[in-house]
Amino acid sequence: MVVLKSLHPPTEGVRHQQADTTAELDGLKLGCGTLCVAETRLLWFDDSRKGFSLEYPSIGLHAISRDVCSYPQEHLYVMVNGKVGDENETEMGAADDDDDSSKEDDDEDGAITEIRFVPSDKTALESMFSAMCECQALHPDPEDDESDNDFEGEEYDVEEAEAEHGHADIPTFYTCDEGLSALTQEGQATLERLEGMLAQSVAQQYHMAGVRTEETKAEFDDGMEVDAAAMEAGQFEDADVDH
Amino acid sequence: MESEAAGAPASGEVVNSIRERTISENSLVVLLQGLQGRVTTVDLRDESTAQGRVLSVDAFMNVRLKDVLYQDRRGRRRQLQDLFITGRNVRYVHIPDDVDMMKTIQNQLDKIHRVRSFGSEGRKEFSKKSN
Repeated sequence: MVVLKSLHPPTEGVRHQQADTTAELDGLKLGCGTLCVAETRLLWFDDSRKGFSLEYPSIGLHAISRDVCSYPQEHLYVMVNGKVGDENETEMGAADDDDDSSKEDDDEDGAITEIRFVPSDKTALESMFSAMCECQALHPDPEDDESDNDFEGEEYDVEEAEAEHGHADIPTFYTCDEGLSALTQEGQATLERLEGMLAQSVAQQYHMAGVRTEETKAEFDDGMEVDAAAMEAGQFEDADVDH
Repeated sequence: MESEAAGAPASGEVVNSIRERTISENSLVVLLQGLQGRVTTVDLRDESTAQGRVLSVDAFMNVRLKDVLYQDRRGRRRQLQDLFITGRNVRYVHIPDDVDMMKTIQNQLDKIHRVRSFGSEGRKEFSKKSN
């Protein structure tokens, strides 16, 4: 039995909204409603605002299906780890302990839910799919091996620090005092280091003659790709070389 | 149509997120990123499989495939135009036999390093300019 909840769709962070979309949960048709692809979660609800929401970490995969031999309508297919709309779920979309543990149990069991979102406008499938890809990427698995994220400040960057303080990977550039005061201590140290390197490199530019040293500059790409010869063959690790 | 967060257009370019580049550089996911454009099979945790062309793999091992033959865990097959597999659900990614793994890894790392150091004083075409 599928239990639908009353939902309050988010007003912010909505990457895509598709009305006139029917939803089917494990073969059970829920009727026509609206799919809302928001950064925080995925929701579907009918005209009376009853529906279900999905947390991105619970989504195993999503796909565009145009194979009318296996299913007669073109649709967005979503596979969820665990059971959606289970009457054992207590809160609406919020993660309380009971909810988490019941979802984890489902996950361990290998129980899945197959969901099909069938928009009346088939041309919208690509946007729906892309929006889901974007939102999915915003929720990397926290159980992943976190040691890979310890990059020891080798590529520490003011923009990155700013992004981690809640601006979700939107790069910000500061060019004035406001920016300088926004630097953390580490950022300030990095800035001084970079400025020192700049001063050094100006002095060194006459000694280059084909030998390149790696220096850290602000990231930019104007499309002028340099020759592909490896700078220092075999050097994988960051070591003491500044990037 | 390409999602910005995945960040990778068709030709194997490096993602514009410092964090993702650093993660990639320090893990074997960089090998998977080098498979962009290749047709391969991904085995999922639930024992379903997906065979298709790799559009992109991000640092979290989220895999995007195109023109996919998907076989679910019960053996039922269907075609999917576009497929996004969440990294956590990936069990194996098959590496095609003709892929030179070390070379692929090296190429991807080179690309990452190029993106990083682009703009340094040592651009070859200008190294001989006299001032």
